[in-house]
Amino acid sequence: MRRRGEEERGEMWVSRSSAEDSGVGEVDILFGEVCANGFRMNTTEVEAKLDEGNIHEAESSLRDGLSLNFEEARALLGRLEYQRGNVEGALRVFDGIDLQAAIQRLQPPVAEKPSRRGRCRTESLHSVSQHSANLVLEAIYLKAKSLQKLGRLTDAAYECKSVLDAVERIFHYGIPDVLVGLKLQETVSQAVELLPELWKQGGCYQEAMAAYRRALLSQWNLDDECCSRIQKAFALFLLYSGVEAGPYSLAVQVDGSYVPRNNLEEASLLLMIILRNSYLGKVKWDSSVMEHLTVALSLCSQTSALAKQFEEVMPGVYNRADRWNALALCYCGAGQNKAALNLLRKSLHKHERPDDLMPLLLASKICSEDSFLAAEGVGYAQRAISNAQGTHEHLKGVGHHMLGLCLRQQAKASPSDSERSHLQSEALKSLGVAVSLKHTNSDLIFDLGFQYAELRNMDAALSCTKQFIDATGGSMVKGWILLALVLSAEQRFLEAQAVIDAAVDETAKWEQGSLLRIRARLKSLQSLPIDAVETYRILLALVQAQRKSYGPPRYTSQVEDNMNSEFELWLGLATLYSRVMCEGLGRDQEALAACINGYLVDPSCAQCQILLGALLLKMDSKASLLARSLLTDALRIEPTNHMAWYYLAKIHQHDGSIADATECLQAASMLEDSSPVESFNQLCILSRVR
Amino acid sequence: MLSDTSPESSTASASSGLDSYAKGQIAINSLSIIITTVPNSVSASENPSYSLLHDPEIASQVSSLLRDPNSGAGDNNLCRWLYDTFQSSDPNLQLVVLRYLPIIAGVYLSRVALRRPLAGFEAVLLALYAHETTSRAGQSWTVSVPDLSHPSLYHESRSSTKSNATEQNIAVVSPRLEPYGTVRSTKRARIVGVALELYYSKIIYMPVRSKIEFCEFCETWAGQDGEMYKDGEEVDKGMQQLRIDDAAGSESVEKERDGEKVGRIPLPWELLQPVLRILGHCLLGTGKDKDLFDAACRACRSLYARSLHDINSKAILATGSLLRLAKMSSDSADDFEPPEILNNNAITL
Repeated sequence: MRRRGEEERGEMWVSRSSAEDSGVGEVDILFGEVCANGFRMNTTEVEAKLDEGNIHEAESSLRDGLSLNFEEARALLGRLEYQRGNVEGALRVFDGIDLQAAIQRLQPPVAEKPSRRGRCRTESLHSVSQHSANLVLEAIYLKAKSLQKLGRLTDAAYECKSVLDAVERIFHYGIPDVLVGLKLQETVSQAVELLPELWKQGGCYQEAMAAYRRALLSQWNLDDECCSRIQKAFALFLLYSGVEAGPYSLAVQVDGSYVPRNNLEEASLLLMIILRNSYLGKVKWDSSVMEHLTVALSLCSQTSALAKQFEEVMPGVYNRADRWNALALCYCGAGQNKAALNLLRKSLHKHERPDDLMPLLLASKICSEDSFLAAEGVGYAQRAISNAQGTHEHLKGVGHHMLGLCLRQQAKASPSDSERSHLQSEALKSLGVAVSLKHTNSDLIFDLGFQYAELRNMDAALSCTKQFIDATGGSMVKGWILLALVLSAEQRFLEAQAVIDAAVDETAKWEQGSLLRIRARLKSLQSLPIDAVETYRILLALVQAQRKSYGPPRYTSQVEDNMNSEFELWLGLATLYSRVMCEGLGRDQEALAACINGYLVDPSCAQCQILLGALLLKMDSKASLLARSLLTDALRIEPTNHMAWYYLAKIHQHDGSIADATECLQAASMLEDSSPVESFNQLCILSRVR
Repeated sequence: MLSDTSPESSTASASSGLDSYAKGQIAINSLSIIITTVPNSVSASENPSYSLLHDPEIASQVSSLLRDPNSGAGDNNLCRWLYDTFQSSDPNLQLVVLRYLPIIAGVYLSRVALRRPLAGFEAVLLALYAHETTSRAGQSWTVSVPDLSHPSLYHESRSSTKSNATEQNIAVVSPRLEPYGTVRSTKRARIVGVALELYYSKIIYMPVRSKIEFCEFCETWAGQDGEMYKDGEEVDKGMQQLRIDDAAGSESVEKERDGEKVGRIPLPWELLQPVLRILGHCLLGTGKDKDLFDAACRACRSLYARSLHDINSKAILATGSLLRLAKMSSDSADDFEPPEILNNNAITL
């Protein structure tokens, strides 16, 4: 007996369709001839009778000519009609057979019900003649096909379903392997594949879902390609139909095996199985499967799982640069920017595809977030700009935008003042060019406003920020915060306060943290320390409540976010106490404790260093050396921080170098006039978190 | 409450059928005061809510009222009608309201920047949001992606590692739903996004026209011309140049539609994710409607261009794949060829 898959379907077809091969029990129709049971007859005569509408005579001439019984003859007639394209006629013939009764006769006696499940080789065939079974089942299948062609889809589906029901009743043990290669298996496979399509076309979506699951979860002995086709059709149906499949029956759930809980999970599982089977050589590679999986997994933000799939793709399927780029998108989507950048470096290598726009832009964006990578990012952005031609002309503005961000980031890391200010103004220039190219991108407007603010051009910053808030309809917290900071830098505290109040109204409770923090700062600047301390109390309670309600953080980014917000609060409180302290209320110990808390969380924070330096200076005059090093460190990070200059002046004064002290004080007083309540750098963190 | 059973095959008891009929009649009566004409076929319909949902005459009148420059205010009686109709808690009537969600969300989001009173739209959107919050009991919706090294319903695994220690990737697709009484600006995208999730869950009942309107608004929201990606990315250089010349200066981010300026909006993931799911349905769903497919293609191209502008990696992946799939499916006109048992002239029993 032939094993499935050893031969192509077409070859089997040819060999069996030659009349000589057909043994007893097989009936062939070929070129107007019918052969069965060793007899052969011409169909012209039969067809003529059919044309006259005389089914009975046609049937009896077949029965006589080929020694067939009633059902066999009818089934054959139906086929003839179907083959001739006369589906209505075929249907009339099939309607004349009591197919259900025929199925009844094919079933094994009840007493022989199997005691165990599973496939079995020949025993189950016992009295069932494959020949009869096939005739009956195929007749029903063709009836379903005829109904489908007549547009009676639901009727067709019921007929088709009865084929499958019958197969399950006739072959308790599953379809025996011995049938493999025979016509019956083909009928069964086709019915299995047709049924969900019929339900789908008939608009019976729940039935279609059930039929797909039945097709894939029962033992139909389908070949790999057929199974794969059904899996794909089902996955697509799950992904795009908009119909939720619903839970499984408990019967099919096996302990310890994965059971999908919703459409996206089920579709992803099926698509992944198809991919794996194609790697194993069981089915042909189908590029659309990967595309569907990409849609499914990126929509549920599972791009790291998608990356795994791209990694498993056999070499040679994708161009390697394409694959690196796809992987980079996946990693970037999963927040793994370093991995993404490494892949982009490969694909943008001069021997690969150095001029591709998307990877250039992505690489520059990743670099713009890290001052150590900023210089590299500048290069990518410049290449993006010069390659933004033709189809990609519209991306030129994006290139300038990224260039501006990278230059700004580069300025932060620059050790020299002159280089820093040069880079800053270059950054501003790039952002300006970007705005002239694509003036409506709200993020770009925000970045421009931010850049103006950092360069202390408050009027321009204010106008950009207002524009941003308008364009986004106030939906981005970072817009409100920047506006408040810019106003506070112009010493317009009451207006800043009003902005923050408005923003708090527009924000849900859990996300008010950063706004409340600024409110506390504003209160303390307006000499309302009690209000400010109260605000901090609320804030710390909020942070703790969040930590409790979300449970232990799952991702490192989440840990960082939590650390950030908590750190910022301690810092704020420390600042407040230090102000109080400056005002002579004398709460040094509390201030120092709060300050050290903040410093322990982030030793590289300028604000913290300044405060600690100031406190040390005040509490212990011998600590001036330590204080001075803290303050100079802080100034390296934030050269425009007036408080740092102020305390540095105090140290110089303390050390007796009056000239230096005067210089520092001058700097402090110049800068103070344009200082926001929070450093603009803090906003960077906030806006990234958001 | 929208029930999970098909509203159209409502084989409910006679009393609730009557109830539904009466509610439908009330809805039609109150609508007739707002729009100019209610066709006879609707007012005399035996299934009023079904007729309301599918009648093109009604749809065009309601749509143009919704697009009116002065629509959407708190005292707008059409918005009030939509709100009341949704609150009728008749699943079939709720579908009628959902049918207009694309226009409501579309006009609303594009108009936010213009600082117009929009309380009417917001009331409807909040009603949809509240409905979804209740039916999900506020729970978040997560997806855990299968790992093929574990056996599943559909496959066996050769490595019999029975341990559940391997990390399951769990992603939150739609976070927890907090109840909201007003639309706070920072929650706007989320509220509209959840309303769109509700729309998606009922999308098989939506008339094609409603889906086409949705696709058109996607283009507007994207605010980015995507026609350069019409032939896929592998167009030859000459063609490219030609197309660019055509599209020169067409990065018209603000379009004039019905004499009103509407345009590009921020597309955070909480909004973009349901948008792309709906678009996937319009592009690759079961129905084969040429107009819908074309509209969805245009929307997809615009959103692809927009994703590139935002350098949004997840969106680039999703829209890029959707575009390639759309191209594949339009290349192979009919992808499902039903299995044919009778090839040419040979049959075997």
